[in-house]
Amino acid sequence: MPRQLLRNAKERLRLFLSERGRPARVLRDRLRRQPNRIDPSLRFVPDFRYVYGERETRGLELLKERLSPEQFAQYDANCYFEVTGCHSGKRYRISHGTSMNIHELDGAGLPCVGWCFAPKGYLVAGDVMLAQKIALETDERGALAVANKFFVPTRNMHLHY
Amino acid sequence: MATQIVMDRTGDTRHNFDPKNADALLKAEKRFRELTGAGFTAAVRTASGEAVVKRTFDPNAEETLFFPRLVGG
Repeated sequence: MPRQLLRNAKERLRLFLSERGRPARVLRDRLRRQPNRIDPSLRFVPDFRYVYGERETRGLELLKERLSPEQFAQYDANCYFEVTGCHSGKRYRISHGTSMNIHELDGAGLPCVGWCFAPKGYLVAGDVMLAQKIALETDERGALAVANKFFVPTRNMHLHY
Repeated sequence: MATQIVMDRTGDTRHNFDPKNADALLKAEKRFRELTGAGFTAAVRTASGEAVVKRTFDPNAEETLFFPRLVGG
């Protein structure tokens, strides 16, 4: 009898935590997708609080001025935009960020391979994404020649241990 | 008025110059050569909004964007 009660209590607690956890996860994911989200590691840069926001905003303005209307709408809605490689005609998704933010898309529009390259030195996300866009649209081979490839887990992949 | 935009740590630095002024044009060309010599890529925005990479200075370009050499991450 006590064992049954304990089991019921555990089940109710699990359901309660599951219900309460869902809105928290949704909120966390939404905050992570915010374009103006500050990378916690940058908090140690001197004067970061005063200068970072302004630099980030300028970089994003520069990027948005140079996106096509379709890319702008995509970026506005999803924090990523897609470009077409000038040599292969392949589609690439550039997500908001400064590294490991480029995904090559397959025929179904799903990420299949990751590519990592960026302009040398410290630049804000807007500048990095703009340089990546121009590089893929004007010199795809040159950009991919310096890039590092990374693995992208696909939805159909099953892991066996 | 023409502009050269250089991406840097501050976001970007803009250099405006009058393309009809010979001195200003010379200075802009010198800046172009220095930056591309240092590994920067120069991209000019066309009337349709597309970017075209330039290896030599274009005196008729209204806006040239410079970004540092690309490296693998």
